[in-house]
Amino acid sequence: MRLELAWSVVDDLAAGSATRLAGRRLEVDVDGLRALLSADARLARVRLDLVHPGERCRIGRVFDVIAPRAKLGGDDFPGVLGAVARAGHGTTLALDGVAVVATDQQTDNVGTLAVIDMAGPNAELSAFGRTHNVVISAWPAPGAERADYLAAVRLAALKAAVYLARAAREAKPDRVEGFELPPSPRVPPELAHLPRVAYVFQIHSHQRPTGVDEGILYGDPVRRMLPTIVHPNEVLDGAVLRGFMGRSVTTWATQNHPMIRALYAEHGRTLWFAGVVVTVAQATEPERVRSAFMAADLVAHTLGADGAVLTKIGGGAPHVDMAQAASQCEALGVKTTAVVEDMSTDGSAEGMLLFDLPGVDSLVNVGSSQEPIMLPAMDRVVGADDLAPKLLGESRATYGGLCGAIEQVGLTRVMAEVR
Amino acid sequence: MALRVVSFVNQFFGQLGGEEKAGAGPQVIDGAIGAARAVQQALGDAGTVVATVICGDNYAAEHANRAISELVALVAAQKPDLLVAGPAFLAGRYGVACGALCAAVQAELKIPAVTGMHAENPGVELYRRRVYTVETGAEATRMLAEVKRLVALGLKLARGEAVGTPAAEGYFTRGVTRNVVAGASAADRAVAMLLDKLAGRPVATEVPRPAFPPVPPPRLVKTLEGATIALVTDGGLVPRGNPDAIEALNATRYGAYSIEGKSSLDAAQYDNPHRGYDTTWVKQDPHRLVPVDVARELEQAGAIGKLHETVYSTVGVATTLAQSARMGREIAEKLKEAGVDAVILTST
Repeated sequence: MRLELAWSVVDDLAAGSATRLAGRRLEVDVDGLRALLSADARLARVRLDLVHPGERCRIGRVFDVIAPRAKLGGDDFPGVLGAVARAGHGTTLALDGVAVVATDQQTDNVGTLAVIDMAGPNAELSAFGRTHNVVISAWPAPGAERADYLAAVRLAALKAAVYLARAAREAKPDRVEGFELPPSPRVPPELAHLPRVAYVFQIHSHQRPTGVDEGILYGDPVRRMLPTIVHPNEVLDGAVLRGFMGRSVTTWATQNHPMIRALYAEHGRTLWFAGVVVTVAQATEPERVRSAFMAADLVAHTLGADGAVLTKIGGGAPHVDMAQAASQCEALGVKTTAVVEDMSTDGSAEGMLLFDLPGVDSLVNVGSSQEPIMLPAMDRVVGADDLAPKLLGESRATYGGLCGAIEQVGLTRVMAEVR
Repeated sequence: MALRVVSFVNQFFGQLGGEEKAGAGPQVIDGAIGAARAVQQALGDAGTVVATVICGDNYAAEHANRAISELVALVAAQKPDLLVAGPAFLAGRYGVACGALCAAVQAELKIPAVTGMHAENPGVELYRRRVYTVETGAEATRMLAEVKRLVALGLKLARGEAVGTPAAEGYFTRGVTRNVVAGASAADRAVAMLLDKLAGRPVATEVPRPAFPPVPPPRLVKTLEGATIALVTDGGLVPRGNPDAIEALNATRYGAYSIEGKSSLDAAQYDNPHRGYDTTWVKQDPHRLVPVDVARELEQAGAIGKLHETVYSTVGVATTLAQSARMGREIAEKLKEAGVDAVILTST
């Protein structure tokens, strides 16, 4: 299966009378896009803002971030936006330097909301402090349930992502990135000596069960999902979206999946990329045990992997869930490394981990989301008019509240160091 | 500006004498004497040892609290910018005194302090979390070189400069974590680490494994038929309105809720603030978390002696170890006092 991402680099974003890519400048027909996004009965009103790297602007109430992508002759975000169809092959247009930021105008619990800084020290910590961002603020129609509202907001963001990427249809891409992985057993004899490495990708945590419109894998809300093998290209091409929970992984990070890219980069050189197993963190012990050994079985006995890397999504239960899967892999002779978040809530090293399982001794961490961080004063707040007075000035937040500073799939460089 | 430094040493390094002087109480000498001279030498122009504070090892060990408060007063009188204690090498009583004095001076006088000792000195384990403790040899054979490392770290603390990693500065891990920006993404580091592990190369994990001692469950000393059983949970069941305001995560509080006269729990009277799991089913039927109904049946049937009339409940999600240990200890004490023999602890 071969996927080509046809990248167009964007270094300027501006409102225009039509949506088009003029060299490296993306002009957006803001009224046209707004009309497209407003055509959803679950939404009462849609507002769009364009923000730029270096601008003293803070985006508040961030819900999720989507990378602009559009398939050439295929279904976009299949099962959620487009029809259910296989992703991961053919050509997909991609914009480098632009992101779609969806905000959540409904939740009252501002402590759970995330921000993006476009300037200052925090802009360096997040990929979205370096992209031009189209920020969507949408308000629920009267009577719209919370789940309906979030589904509508995400759908609007996906529509915008496709709409923007389509502007590159006529453009000659700046670069074409190819992803091709043969079926797992078909290793050329001259590469048969390479260690086979699988990736175990936890895509949701059922600490909060998904709603019916909360499509995560090809539009499926993964309520009863057992560990499943997917092709890495499917992940890169919009088959996996983040659910509505949490701020520790963005859909953008999944579309640009760093672990899949890292394994592709080494594939055929230092390792053989044996495949991806997607899992969900389960809510009960029998489900957790079942999922852990089934994932390990797929890794060891079906993909025939010698090693596996694992990531988690969410808080403590997913952290333990991932470790159980890693331990099951180790029990079958599969060497593992896992990416954890520092789980300590008081900055003590002894609280970093919530498990101590046999063989799970090689861990990378993405830092502590609880550690305080200063938000410097800004000139403008976008996406959170109601919170602007509070968000404009200098205030205290946490790393977890800075969208894109900690991506649990391993995109980020923040790490907790033990001192 | 040259900093004012106080040096703390024991009777031996303060030149009072050997073991026969170990009972000597706290005293102060102007300027640097004994091992404090090495501190002065290491300081060079950066600071002056204005006084050497001395205490005998036995005095410090046998009158620990009094000795430390007397020593703190002697240090305070000098109005120093920095306290350098030791180094104590492998001398246990001396190492513990150094750690205790540094901790007290930091906490009470808000003056930075640094000490040094050998890895096996009991002072390390007692104080490394609170006090920067530089690793030294077991004996004073490389005194000046080691004192220089203590002083270099002490100067950074006194000047408010950034302190490097334990490996770079030579101090024992304090067991605190801090976010830094690594040279590569976590994904790249994870793949590189896995390749090392697969190739049998050494792997440096970024997260130490927890070193908790296993807690063996105690044996029930009587039969269940004669035992009083309590129900305890960290699954977050609270009476409606959450009267103890137990936090949704990172809890510091727990509640004690009477079930006297109740043969079961009425869902309408309970709630659950826990943010770590899907509480829908527990809110629908609290017995899924706290099985009062079944426990009462067992009590009626005589299968257990008695059901304790108080249920203890907290929220166990992102709770610090320190808070968990404290709450556990307090609940256990209350249960013990009430004559409870065994506990059914339901977790989520």
